[in-house]
Amino acid sequence: MAATCVEFATGGFSFENCRRNAILEEKGLKPPKVYKTGTTIVGIVFSDGIILGADTRATEDTIVADKNCSKIHYLAPNIYCCGAGTAADTEKTTQIISSQLELHRLNTDRTVRVCTANRLLKQMLFRYQGHIGAALVLGGVDSTGPHLYSIWPHGSTDVLPYVTMGSGSLAAMSVFESRYTPGISREDGMKLVRDAIAAGIFNDLGSGSNIDLCVITKDKVDYLRPYDEANKKGVRQGKYAYKKGTSCVLTETVRKVEFVVESTQVKVEAMDTV
Amino acid sequence: MALADVCKLNLGNKSYAFPNPADIDGGFSSLRTELNTSEQFAVPYNFDPVQSFAPFADGAGNDVKIQFNHGTTTLAFKFKDGVIVAVDSRATAGSWIASQTVKKVIEINPYLLGTMAGGAADCSYWERVLAKQCRIYELRNKERISVAAASKLLANIVYNYKGMGLSMGTMICGWDKKGPGLYYVDSDGTRLTNDMFSVGSGSTYAYGVLDSGVRYNMTPKEAYDVAQRAIYHATHRDAYSGGVVNLYHMKETGWVKVSQIDVLDLHYRYAQEKK
Amino acid sequence: MSIMAYNGAAIVAMKGKECVAIASDRRFGIQAQTVGMDFQKIFEMGPHLYIGLPGLATDVQTVAQRLKFRLNLYELKENRQIRPKTLMSVVANLLYERRFGPYFVEPVIAGLDNKTAEPYIAALDLIGCPMATDDFVVSGTCTEQLYGMCESLWQPDMDADALFECISQSLMNAVDRDAVSGWGAVVTLIEKDKVTTRTLKARMD
Repeated sequence: MAATCVEFATGGFSFENCRRNAILEEKGLKPPKVYKTGTTIVGIVFSDGIILGADTRATEDTIVADKNCSKIHYLAPNIYCCGAGTAADTEKTTQIISSQLELHRLNTDRTVRVCTANRLLKQMLFRYQGHIGAALVLGGVDSTGPHLYSIWPHGSTDVLPYVTMGSGSLAAMSVFESRYTPGISREDGMKLVRDAIAAGIFNDLGSGSNIDLCVITKDKVDYLRPYDEANKKGVRQGKYAYKKGTSCVLTETVRKVEFVVESTQVKVEAMDTV
Repeated sequence: MALADVCKLNLGNKSYAFPNPADIDGGFSSLRTELNTSEQFAVPYNFDPVQSFAPFADGAGNDVKIQFNHGTTTLAFKFKDGVIVAVDSRATAGSWIASQTVKKVIEINPYLLGTMAGGAADCSYWERVLAKQCRIYELRNKERISVAAASKLLANIVYNYKGMGLSMGTMICGWDKKGPGLYYVDSDGTRLTNDMFSVGSGSTYAYGVLDSGVRYNMTPKEAYDVAQRAIYHATHRDAYSGGVVNLYHMKETGWVKVSQIDVLDLHYRYAQEKK
Repeated sequence: MSIMAYNGAAIVAMKGKECVAIASDRRFGIQAQTVGMDFQKIFEMGPHLYIGLPGLATDVQTVAQRLKFRLNLYELKENRQIRPKTLMSVVANLLYERRFGPYFVEPVIAGLDNKTAEPYIAALDLIGCPMATDDFVVSGTCTEQLYGMCESLWQPDMDADALFECISQSLMNAVDRDAVSGWGAVVTLIEKDKVTTRTLKARMD
């Protein structure tokens, strides 16, 4: 490192802490658990396009860390992607690929194709040999029609008419296996995806809360969040509130802060000349 | 055994903790073992307790080690008017505080106190057994047991279980013919006597205060104060000690409980003194 | 033992009506031994923007400094204050860069948006997965206790006074059930026209 305190923008991952962390682990200090989606995510091809679905629970070991997280990630105007596994990995992987797709769209001046997104994702995941723990359901509609992929953390992909992923995938797949028909209508498809996610929410402990849907057709995307609340929380009757002055204050410093307005827009209206 | 004597039962002389299966009539617990349950546990055949309990005692290779109440500060010291015993009241399991109101002084009888450090169940159970044995001694001999004898009873019992995962570090305090008595007994089988002991994760902090504050000729009031300060300072620096300070005074007439004070109050009282 | 519990920490942030609050304990310990009772875990990142960093103390300070560095560059480049949501992205990127050799911190962000004055709170895991919520976020060695306190005490649209009591009691009662955090508490209450920082009388054991 140079004498000046500069962080070089080298790109890619930094491994500067790895040796230290390995030593700490050797001493018996356990690294903390990361956020997991512990998820039910699904996708189907219907008559006019793709329907993606996801639950909204994020977990940190046995704790529900987020009761309403978003697992259907934006990749391109016509492509969305559900993520399961290590939450940071699904979040960042889709962000990185989304940025590459946008550059590709600007370079080619065409709507990006779903197979391009699939190739970029699988090549990134393969490069990291499964260490990036992202299991994805990729869906979109392009010039060649609707496409649905499932992408595994090691970089393998499947093309299927209906897919499920995450810890609730078995529950969701049982719904698809019994009720999916090729060329299913939009209404029936949305009901089917809802029921598949609900099966995950109710039968898998890692999945829970609400059902998000994303319906992608040739010229429209309907991002429905939440589409359905599978189990509504009861309304609390009373409330716990401490009286003002309960907490004993030892010291207090108050700092006045000017709230700086960074931009103002003055709408110019035509002068009343009548 | 007194009860066995009354019943005219010949029990033989079994001192080891786990009965040899070959000795058990009909291969199952008999009257003999029933009478001895406080010191003997019925176990399956071919059972080696040291080997079988090893994972729970040292957690070798996996996470099954039982997390005992290891964090504690207890102390006791002799001075001209008897023995002072002071303890904190926190129980922890890992970093989780399971209780802030544990009674860590075990009142064995009006002339004997035991302190609790290590496994709470181990301490309270074996000191209850000790209480029984001390009572039996009184009935047999028509006089109170000495502190030396009582502490040795306990040390001998736990020695039978050496290596099987017992965890206790205790101070046996009392008053007998020889005057005030103070013994340290732990689950390794150690038994020591001295004028001052402190046991537990906060003991180093407590020793610091005791070494600078305890004098043999101090008044009871001064002794209470230094004991309380020692526990407070230990709770302040040690994460696994806290709650309230329970303070006992062992006198010629038996023990009295002097006070029970929350360390929160002590902290702000001592902070005020410094100003 | 977890690396996060090596030094011990508890941090919580909450939304109120036109205000946010962030609170932390003040302990710096090395496992069982309490070394300091005035350790800074909440760092100012703007007039209305604060970040709490619970975790391994060495990383707390490194991350705070690296973040300040990136923040200064941002402000020089953009000639404006950073928005809470943007800071969250900066933190997420800083942490995710070290995906395979992370800093052991789980940051909590609290602030008011510079344009809209909208309250914003978020928490991240140690590899930078962001989680923005509408109610409260917790982090540190006693998250179970904090979740329990916050789930029962928090309610929507609290004013600044109610929010202060709510966050103070949530934190103090949580750390009283955790051996490795506590030893004093500090609460920063962020409103549009002022920022109030209070230290609280707490159990010192």
